[in-house]
Amino acid sequence: MKAKLSPVILEIVAVALALVILIPFFMIFVNSFKGIRESALFGLSLPTTWELDNYREVLSQDNILRGFKNSFLMSALVVLCVNLFASMAAFVIQRRGGKFLQGIYMAFIMGLIVPVSIVPTIRLMDMLHMKGSYLSIIMYYTAVLLPFSVFLLVGFMKSVPRELDEAAVLEGCGYFRLYFRIILPLVSTVLVTVSIVVIVSVWNDFFGPFYLVTDSTKWTIVLQVFNFVTLYSTNWGVVFAFMLVVIAPVLLIYLFLQRYIIDGLTAGSVKG
Amino acid sequence: MERKKYPLFFSFPAIIVFLLFFITPTVIGIYYSFTDWNINADEIKFIGLDNYRELFNEPRLKKAFTNTLIFAAAVTVLQNVTGIALALILNEKLKLRNLLRMIFFMPYVIAPLVIGYIFRAIYHPEHGIVNRIFDSVGLDSMMQDWLNDPRFALFTIIVTDIWRVAGFSMVVYLAGLQFIPKDLTECASIDGASYWTRFKHVVFPLLAPAFTVNVLLAMIGSMKVFEIVMVLTEGGPGYTTEVFYTYIRNTFSSGEMGYATAINMLLFVLVTLVGVPVLMAMKKREVEM
Repeated sequence: MKAKLSPVILEIVAVALALVILIPFFMIFVNSFKGIRESALFGLSLPTTWELDNYREVLSQDNILRGFKNSFLMSALVVLCVNLFASMAAFVIQRRGGKFLQGIYMAFIMGLIVPVSIVPTIRLMDMLHMKGSYLSIIMYYTAVLLPFSVFLLVGFMKSVPRELDEAAVLEGCGYFRLYFRIILPLVSTVLVTVSIVVIVSVWNDFFGPFYLVTDSTKWTIVLQVFNFVTLYSTNWGVVFAFMLVVIAPVLLIYLFLQRYIIDGLTAGSVKG
Repeated sequence: MERKKYPLFFSFPAIIVFLLFFITPTVIGIYYSFTDWNINADEIKFIGLDNYRELFNEPRLKKAFTNTLIFAAAVTVLQNVTGIALALILNEKLKLRNLLRMIFFMPYVIAPLVIGYIFRAIYHPEHGIVNRIFDSVGLDSMMQDWLNDPRFALFTIIVTDIWRVAGFSMVVYLAGLQFIPKDLTECASIDGASYWTRFKHVVFPLLAPAFTVNVLLAMIGSMKVFEIVMVLTEGGPGYTTEVFYTYIRNTFSSGEMGYATAINMLLFVLVTLVGVPVLMAMKKREVEM
């Protein structure tokens, strides 16, 4: 970069780069309104006639609606499990400390790095007689997302003063009430962050359900995309319409809760 | 208040789930990587090192290994270069700063599988936008079959992944830039330091924490790449874009579970060997800070 670049030039460069990001989205948007022949050209021109048939076809499919329901259900239950388990653990890891819990904390941090052993996980679910069940996929996601959440929450717990605990316990408050009434409300912003990261991760994931869910009635929406493209790759208009419907909820959350998402997804990193 | 009074059992739900569904599969995976576990056979037999012996004689593993490393190295470098560049641009007082920041980060919240399908259309040899742009500006020689030509396929996947993750690095660097006092760069500027000198001697050293984190996350994340490769090339043409996870997926699909587990173990070892030293370095820094 030169010594002095005028802000106008920088702005133009930045906008041009932003177009590189936006054009692919624009491409599927316009093509999702085109008929079968026109959409197969993957062009950037506006549709000759704006057709809603593609969307009608997508939304009339039972398995797609079921995919939405499954993704929604799984995200919600994983959010619940991860928030509850991670915050309880983070609370005692940070407050109690000691060799055992420090070891546990290190194990969680290792979990941030190492890849899951997915094929043996199938075997494990089989041995536990929960292969392919909702419970199995929820437990899988909870286990995978716990390291990040515990890491984030332990970091944040440090900023909640211990004096609060002491005061509460002196007043005769038990540990359950201390945790639910005093600690949880104080870390609620982090819980929002954790929840959003969990929702986005579960909603977008293909890897987990691809290996763990064999029953097509339990497929998530991303698995339905995979299946749908294989079946409908002759009609790209419908495929693009479907993909837009799938990314729309995440994009909406992103537009409205941008700060939380960006903070959340980069949280572990900035704190170091 | 006494530390010991905090109830240990609060940590049990998290520990049990993590132990059972994360650590256990890894541990039993070591055993199953020594077996002939196959979807088409009723019995699982212990076969010692046979899977690994077979794997190490397999040119395909070598391809998966080198491709994963090339992909990880290229993505790590390019993601950081574009990330820093974008962050420096957006750190200036631009009118559209917030909007641009939002746009650059956007791909990161989209399912990689969907991104793969979008780009399959974009790289289409006849109709895809990429070739049409080259065509319209007269660069016919640049019109290639990006995903089916062994010379370009891996490169194309790398570029696609940069498109997806550059915004993430940008945000981490932007956060790092906030900590750099304005008067520091202004001082250097008054002393006559050029933009590049200022960047090299003032800005970049202060970005070191953001840099370490970005490198670690990029390396680990890119070694686990799966969906984008699966959708764009399925590891092909031939094995020219095979990475660990597409290899695992293919052996899994043909029912060779023991073999797939052995490949998974190798990936585990690889990521640990690369990740843990970097993590330790980061931990050390945390203490210093």
